[in-house]
Amino acid sequence: MSEPLLQAQDLYKSFGHRKVLQGVNFSVQPGTLVGIVGENGAGKSTLLRILAGELRPDRGDVLRRGAMGYCPQKVILNETLTVNQHLAYFRAAYNIPDLQRADELVEQLGYQHYRKALVGQLSGGTQQKLNLTLALMHRPQLLLLDEPYQGFDWETYLRFWHLMTDLRSSGCAVLIISHLFFEQKQFDTLYHLQHGSMQLQAPIEPQIASLTGGKEQ
Amino acid sequence: MNSSFHRYLIATRYALFDHLRNHTALLLLVAFVPVWDFLFWIVVPDAPLSFLLRATHVFLQVNGRDLTLLTAGLNAITLIIGFMFFSSTRKSIAFDHRLILSGYPQSVLILAKLSALIVVSAVVSLYTSLVMFAFWRPGSFPLVWLGFFIIGLTYGTFGLLLGVLVRGELEGFFLIIMVSLLDTSLQNPFGNPIANQDFLKWFPSYAPMQFVVGGAFAQTPPWLYLLYSLAWPLAFTLLGLAIFWWKTRAGKVRTLPHIMPVEASLHGHS
Repeated sequence: MSEPLLQAQDLYKSFGHRKVLQGVNFSVQPGTLVGIVGENGAGKSTLLRILAGELRPDRGDVLRRGAMGYCPQKVILNETLTVNQHLAYFRAAYNIPDLQRADELVEQLGYQHYRKALVGQLSGGTQQKLNLTLALMHRPQLLLLDEPYQGFDWETYLRFWHLMTDLRSSGCAVLIISHLFFEQKQFDTLYHLQHGSMQLQAPIEPQIASLTGGKEQ
Repeated sequence: MNSSFHRYLIATRYALFDHLRNHTALLLLVAFVPVWDFLFWIVVPDAPLSFLLRATHVFLQVNGRDLTLLTAGLNAITLIIGFMFFSSTRKSIAFDHRLILSGYPQSVLILAKLSALIVVSAVVSLYTSLVMFAFWRPGSFPLVWLGFFIIGLTYGTFGLLLGVLVRGELEGFFLIIMVSLLDTSLQNPFGNPIANQDFLKWFPSYAPMQFVVGGAFAQTPPWLYLLYSLAWPLAFTLLGLAIFWWKTRAGKVRTLPHIMPVEASLHGHS
């Protein structure tokens, strides 16, 4: 078995008296699509923020390997900059030689006509597409995504899952926080975050056809 | 081009774009400053007033209206630049944190913010000095501009500090307005007959006001006060940037040795 790209070791996090994470342990292998589900307020986003390095755990370790892409649940963009300016800014942040991959993603997600528009003037769905592009444009080996499809129309939603399965096939490790019941069949491994710890969850047979096999056929 | 310098140029350029697109601040600058000066010019009597210039320890006999125009200029700059940097810092802190997590060096972003502050303060203080020039010709235009520039730096760094400290937009604006009013109005003997009181020397606009008055009315500019006037911006900068650094520092993550990058095809299913 290859080395995991992400390891969470005994993570604890509390906010005041509220214990959110109480000993979270799991790892993510290359070429796998891992999902985390849980009730509202279970601590899914807190866990992802810790894994991304945005938040510090009270205790425990996060070990990562390779380049990481992180797409937070809340769209984090600068409303006074254009789409192109965001791409240039993150190109400099990632220190990558060109925007070839970003250009492909913009085309793929279908918002190429808004490249010169100020982000503050874009719809929520288009902002979310840019939010996702910024996480993917440097060809990361590990992807951490927190409900990254909010505001997507159905077509873009399907493209998103195609993209994720492509990334998995190419060896990328993808970790997605999800709350939708019918998405759960997409994952190789599914964890349930409950009472501050992770439990491996058996795949659930969906009530409707799988996303990639359903509508497009 | 060196990677760090290239990143610095990009971050500075976008920080300046951010301020340029703050239309409310630009409108305040273009419209508020001349109206503010004009109102003081017609309201304040053209009468002599005593001002204690501490550099020479003498009371200068100055024109009250001219002195009030200086106070008005200082006050306008504090409000506009304080608002610009508070608003920009508060709105961009999460975005800056994302950039840092993606590899942007914290130090480069900090340097870019300070560079933008210097450019914005220089431009806003120049415009304010020019507007004042339309009403009154001070003894030395460059010295007045320099004093205005320093007060711009002071309130820009104050805005930056509030931007990383205060969560609510309204709370931050009120703090800037109230501190600015208290600070600048008490320095003028027209509004405050006890403007020569000792405790006023601890206020942020005290040293810039002394310098500006020295440059506008006296023969010798009080250079020492220019040095003193850097104390507040320095303190605000150190405190603000320490909090910025603390809030945007990378988390507790250990990075293990690198492996080959992923090459995913986007077009497989399109």
